[in-house]
Parts: sequence; structure tokens; C-alpha cells
Amino acid sequence: MKTSKKVFILLGAVLVLVLIVLMFIKVGGKTEKDIHKVSVIVSDSEDTQWASFKYGLRMAAEDKGLEVFTVSTGAVLTLEEEKTAIEQEIDNGADAVIVEPVPGAATADMLKKIEKKVPVMLVRQTETEEQGVSAFPVTEADNYQIGVDLAKEVLRDYDGNIQGKTIGLFMSSVESEAIASREKGFWDYLKDAEVTLGWSLAETEEGMLEQQPAVDFVIALDNNGLEEAGKCAAANNLHGALVYGIGNSTEAVYYLDTGKVECIVVPDAFNMGYQSLAEIAEKLLHYSHKMQSSEVSYTVMRKNDLFSEENQNVLFTMSQ
Amino acid sequence: MKNKYFRSLKKRMPKGMQSTIMFAFSIISIIIMLILGSVLYIRFSSVSRQETTNGTQKLIEQTGESLEDYLVRMRQISDTIYYNVIKENDLSNQDRDLQREMNLLYETNKDYLRSIAIYNSYGSLMAAEPVAVQKEDPNVTRQDWYKQAMNEVENMHFSTPHIQNLFNDSTFRYYWVISLSRMVELTDKGDTQTGVLLVDMDYSNISRMMKQINTLNSGQYYYLCDSSGKIIYHPRQMQIQEGISGENSQVAAQYKDGSYDETFAGEERKVIVNTISYTGWKLVGVIPASTFNQGMVNIKEFIVALMLLLFVMVIIMNRIVSARISRPILELNRSVMEYEAGEKPEIYIGGSSEIRHLAHSIQDSYEQNEILMNEVVLEQNERRKSELDALQSQINPHFLYNTLESITWMIEGERNDEAVFMISQLARLFRISLSKGRTVISVKDELQHAQSYMNIQKVRYKNTFSIVFDVDPALYSCCTVKLVLQPILENAISYGVGSMEECGEIRVEGRLKNDDIILEVIDNGLGIAEEEVEYLLTDSTRVHTHGSGVGLVNVNNRIQILFGKEYGLHVESEPDKGTRISICMPAVPYTEENRKILEKGYLFSREEIVDRKIKAGIDEDK
Repeated sequence: MKTSKKVFILLGAVLVLVLIVLMFIKVGGKTEKDIHKVSVIVSDSEDTQWASFKYGLRMAAEDKGLEVFTVSTGAVLTLEEEKTAIEQEIDNGADAVIVEPVPGAATADMLKKIEKKVPVMLVRQTETEEQGVSAFPVTEADNYQIGVDLAKEVLRDYDGNIQGKTIGLFMSSVESEAIASREKGFWDYLKDAEVTLGWSLAETEEGMLEQQPAVDFVIALDNNGLEEAGKCAAANNLHGALVYGIGNSTEAVYYLDTGKVECIVVPDAFNMGYQSLAEIAEKLLHYSHKMQSSEVSYTVMRKNDLFSEENQNVLFTMSQ
Repeated sequence: MKNKYFRSLKKRMPKGMQSTIMFAFSIISIIIMLILGSVLYIRFSSVSRQETTNGTQKLIEQTGESLEDYLVRMRQISDTIYYNVIKENDLSNQDRDLQREMNLLYETNKDYLRSIAIYNSYGSLMAAEPVAVQKEDPNVTRQDWYKQAMNEVENMHFSTPHIQNLFNDSTFRYYWVISLSRMVELTDKGDTQTGVLLVDMDYSNISRMMKQINTLNSGQYYYLCDSSGKIIYHPRQMQIQEGISGENSQVAAQYKDGSYDETFAGEERKVIVNTISYTGWKLVGVIPASTFNQGMVNIKEFIVALMLLLFVMVIIMNRIVSARISRPILELNRSVMEYEAGEKPEIYIGGSSEIRHLAHSIQDSYEQNEILMNEVVLEQNERRKSELDALQSQINPHFLYNTLESITWMIEGERNDEAVFMISQLARLFRISLSKGRTVISVKDELQHAQSYMNIQKVRYKNTFSIVFDVDPALYSCCTVKLVLQPILENAISYGVGSMEECGEIRVEGRLKNDDIILEVIDNGLGIAEEEVEYLLTDSTRVHTHGSGVGLVNVNNRIQILFGKEYGLHVESEPDKGTRISICMPAVPYTEENRKILEKGYLFSREEIVDRKIKAGIDEDK
């Protein structure tokens, strides 16, 4: 065969091959597999406190082209339940998970095993980790600073002098690392204020709060605690104590709006949802990307500025 | 440098005709395809952009109309409440007609409304629908919608979306509303006072409308802002509030209706603006350049695939066309090359009429050449033959005259026996001389002829010299040119021994040497001067003073004409010692066939001579 004929056949074959490859790329280019699925496992996921967080997740999912699914969970999530839920989600095709770790030392070990299968993003630090040093990427507000700012707000109302006052601490779970940080921040700021701790209560059953002795301030360190305290204050069952707290539900805001709560610190749950998913998206799209922890802001709300433009936006996310 | 590139390009250019045609066709086709592809892409791109823009424009207009309808409806509700309910009723009316009529209106339109409320000039709630518990101190007079109504009494005012801060909701919900407020005149117990009528529209109606047009996930999106650029609805509203992304709403709010090209956050985009009447709100459609490009990716792929397909087809077509065009020429070329290589002259005739004509012309010219060549060869042979004939014919008259004169003397002197001998020798001489007109005879005949000649000459010269023939008998059966020895012998007598008193000797020797016949005539005569020897074989005019008039030049020429330039005579002479003249000829066996071939003027090569010798040897053995 002549060389020119060989070259001609070779050229033709290469061109036909290119065409076929192009067609394959075109036909097989967009498959469903391209849309990554991310599952979110948080305790009491249907609760209104997660509304902003879920809205943030939704917005990030739209922006980043991901599919996000929030697992429906009960008010109290055990380690075993959380593990089962995560594994079930991975089995159902989740490419990554966003997890609120249940309190307890064993959670980190469980998450380490999960991390070997899919990327894991936490929305709260695990218990065994030292402050600021995390084995997992975490997206959350600076809980210590939130505690500090809450203490500042208490002091502000009394021109910095709350000497001799008694404080009652109320929270839904004492084990949580976040609550521990908030409490530490709170007390660290008030260490020279000469206040006394009347009681510290982690609610185990309903109605415990109103049975506590009278204090000057009730400090609710989490959303559930704040809602409970607000409810008690609305029912005048707090012996005239002023309520300050940390929360991010419309119910908590409502108690502020109605004057039952003096001040609330609202972590930016929208950003927590948005940034955690955005970071996961980056990891899923670029395998070599190393996920980073990020810190979200928080807002201090008081009744007089509740309907300021900034706070209205926070309320907007809570109402979604 | 430029020339270097040209040279290297020139080197790579195809040399063959088919390759040249195909190369040229392919280059032209590729250029045309590239131009075509680009034009197609630009055209498609422009049409696609236009269609996307038109589609967006239409969608914006439709949504704008829906929004206007909705807002007009709200205004109508406001008008109806004001003119048909508030103006017709006294607030203190015990029959609560006002409340009932407001309730009727609310129930009819509750899908679009959050609430209807009437406040007096102190901000006190006069009536509300649905009936709800007012917050402890909503501070209505400090709310924007109230202030706007009171500041511009003649207008209706649409607020931007905000949280309704009027009523307690036991479900802990906060409603996002757009307030339509206006100043109204209230009648309370017969007194007229100013107040504000507030119609709170449910923001979800507007956001639903906007969400509907934002469902397309192609990159383009629509948002709504007020005349100052404040966002009313945006699909990424919270991201903008949080500073995660941004929007150019401040600038868009300044645009009049139409489409604009702008660059925002480093990206080019097209913005289509439609103003919602009365409110001054701007409905803005944004088409990022990436959306256009995204739409064009498919077209780009399609065009590339089409171009590749066309390219393959064009290459195949080019190959076929170039092969069809060049095949007849290549065939013609091949046949001409075969002809040139000495093969059978069959010129290819085929292809288009022009090429066939060319082939015919080449064939004709080759045939013509062939004929002419044959004619030339024939003429050449004829000419050589006639030359030979002419040379041979030069011998006869002079010698015959001398011999006849000698015979006459003999008869006059009554030496009859000698005369008879002379006549018989002369007869033999002539018989061989004539040889039936042949040019080539056997060596034996030639020697016979020489002997006869010398016998005649010995009589004429009264035996003053002797003649010795010492010839290898193997030579007898070889070919020789007729009458080559006789002129040499004549010269030997004339220049050598003829003038000697006695002791003159002429030797004729013959032998084979390397497939050549060497015949030598050696005399011990006077010899020839050195300068004479030089001219002996070149100048035919110098030797005619003696002898028969046929010089050595003649003999040399005849041998060379018949056998080739490498054969002929060789003369060695030394004055007073003698002369040796050698004849060199190829040893061609004397057969009828060889004789005819030689006489036709064909020159045998050495190999052929050997072949013929072998053949003759075989024939002889048989």
C-alpha cells in the first residue's frame, strides 16, 4: 500500500474517532451523578431554631448546584441514632454529611470512621477536642465570645454594677461543648462582678425551671433553654428574674418582642448553613481541597432595635 | 529567517500531482469551512442572544403586568375601603357597619392580604381586619408607612417589604408584608379627623410570582427593587444582605425601561429593566454573559462536529476527485516512462478529452520518431554500403590496365605459358574480387586473392622479391573485408621490395590474438620515413603516386566501417629495415548469416562475437 494511502486512512480514522469521542462526551456529559448529594444530621431538625440554618443550606445548595437533604430527627439524638442516620444517608448516596455531633466522648471516634468514607463538616465542636484545635472542620459561631457578649449585655443594663446579684443558668444540655464554652465566656467576663451563681440547671424534665429558687437573672445558654425561660417569664413563674439568653428561633424573638426577655444573642445560623455547605461543595468539586473551619457572626438583639433593618433580615431567615 | 521558513515549507509541499491537487483542495476546503463555521457561529450566537433577550423581555413584561394587576387590585381595595367604607361610615357607629364591610372585603381578598387597619392621627388603632390583639406599644407613628402617608397626603404609598409590627401572634410568627398606606379622613362621632388606612399585602404573593420566573436554572435571574435600588425581591436576597454576593440594583434603579449592557463584579451581563407603574419599582432581568455562552456551548459543539464531519467528507471527496483528475495523467506518465525505459511503446489513452488528445499526440510523435529513426538507420546503412562499394570499385581499372599490359608484353615476347599463368591468376583475382558482389569474404579467399595478386606481381617484377604466406589455418574460416591484403601488398612492393635488385622478401603472417585476427604484411624493403608513417593512415591523397591507387587509408576505412573504430591497420616502419603493416579484425566465423549481418552494417560487440564463435563451433561439430 502506498504511504499516501496509509496516511489518508489514518487521518480519516483519527477524525472519525474524534467525532465519536465528541459524541460520547456530549451524550454522557451530564448525568445525574454530577449532582452531589449532601445530607444534614442535626438533632430535632424540625425545630424552628434550625429554620435559618436550613434556609442557608437551601441557598448554598442553589448557588453551588448541590442537593441537600435534612434528616428528620427527634429532640434528643443518641450517638447510636446519629451513627445509624449517617450510615443510612451514605448508603442512600450521600456524598458528604453535615453533622451536629451528639455530646459525648465517643462521637469523635464515630465521626473519624465516617470521615474515611465521605467528607464531614460539623456545626458544633466535638467534646474531646481542645479549644480551637479540631480534627474536623467546624462551622459555628465563637461560643466563648457569645458568652462574653451576653455577660456584657447584662452588665450594660446595670451600668456595669451587678454586685451581689444572683444568677441562674439554664440550658437544655450540660454536656454540649458549645454550651460549656458559652458558660465559660460568660463567667470569665463576670469574674470581677461579684455575682453569685444561684443555680445551674440542665433541663431534664419540663417544669424544673419554675421550681428553682428566685434569682435576679436567668441566663439561658441555648435556644431551647431560652424558649423555656421566655415561656416561664410570660407565665410570671420566674419570680421577677430578668431573662437573657442565646437563641435563634422566632419564639425566642417573640419573647424579646413582648418584653419577657431582655436581650438575646442570635448566632448567624443562615451563614452557618450557607458556609458549611459551600465548604463541602468546594471539597466535592475539588478533591484536593482541604476543608477549613469557619466562624460565623452573631447578632445582639434588644427590644428597641428588634425591627431594625439588620434584625429584620435575621427574622426573615428565621421565618423561612 | 522568513526565507528559511519558506524554504522549509517548500520542502514539505507535496511533489506528486495527486498530492498537490488534494493538498490545494484540502487547504481551500478547510479555509472555507473555517470561515463558514465562524460565520455560522457568529450568526447563531447573535440570533441566540437576541432570542434570549427577547424571551427575557417578554417574561419581564408579563410578570410586570401581573405585578401591576396585583398592585392595582390592592389600590382598588384601598380605594373601596376608603370611599365605600370609611367615608360612608362613622367610626362610633354602634351597628359596626364599618367592621362588617371591612371584614367582607378582607374575606374576599384574604389570599392577597395580610391585614387591613385604620389608625387615627395619634397612631391609635381604630379598626382592623382580621381582628387581632395589638402589640403593647407598636409605635405606629414611627413606622415608615405611617410617616409616608402623613407626609404626602395626596398619594398612596407602597413600602418595601418589612416585618409587620402591629399585632401579637400567639404562634410566634412574624409576617413579611408590603404596606400600602394612605392618609384618610375619618368620621368619629360626627367629627372629621385625619388617619391612615393601611393595607398590608402578603409579601409571599410577590415572592411567589418572582420565584416562578426564577425557576429556570440557566444563570439568568430576575429581581425587584424600588426606585432607590432597595431590593424588594431577589433570588439571592439573603446572600446579598450577608455580603456573600452583590447586586447592581442602585444603578438598575436609574435605568429607564429597556435593555442595557453592563459589567458588574467583573462579569459582563445584559440587564433588562421594566418599571412597575405607580410604585416606581423596577423589575430587572439579568442575563450574565456566561448564560449566553452556556447556551452557545451546544451550538459550538454542533458546529465543531458538523465541521469535522464536513472535513472528513471533503477529504474523501478531495481524494476521489484528485485521483480521478490525476489518474489518466499518472497513467500516461507511467506509460511514457516505460517507453523511455525501453519497454513496449504502448501509450495510455484515457481520461478527459484533453488528456486523450495529449496521449494521442505523444503516441503519434513516438511512432513518427520510430519511423524516422528506422529511416535514418536505413539511410546510414545505404550510405556506408555505397561508400564501401565506391572504395572497392577504386581498385579495378589501374591494376587491370598494368596487368593487361604485362600480359600483352608476354604475348608479344611469345612467352605464352607465362601469359596463360598470368591470365589464369588474373581470372582468379577477379573472381574473388567480384565474389558475387559480396563485401565480406572468408580469410581463405582473401589469402587466395592475395596469392593471385602476388603471382601476377612477381611476374611483373621478374621475381626480384619472394613472398611467404604463414597464416594459421584456423583463420581461414573467419570473415574479412574483401581486398584488404592486396593494397598492403601493393604498398609493400611499391615502397619496399619493388625497387630492390634481389633479396626482397614479403611475408604474410596470420594468427589469432585475443579473439582478433591479426594479419601482418612484413617486408624487408626500404622502409618508410617516420613522418610518412604518420600520414599513411590519415591522408589518402599522399599515397596515390605509386601502386594501384588504393591507399592504406582506403583499407583502414573499410575495416573500420565494417567492424568498428577499434579495428583497422597498424603500421610500423624503419627506414632501410622494412615495414610491418598489421590488420586487426574481429574473428567472426564466416557463415552466410554473419556475412549478411556484417554487410547490412551491423557492428558486433565482443560478447556477440564470442557467442557466434561458439555457435559456429557447435554447427561445425554437427
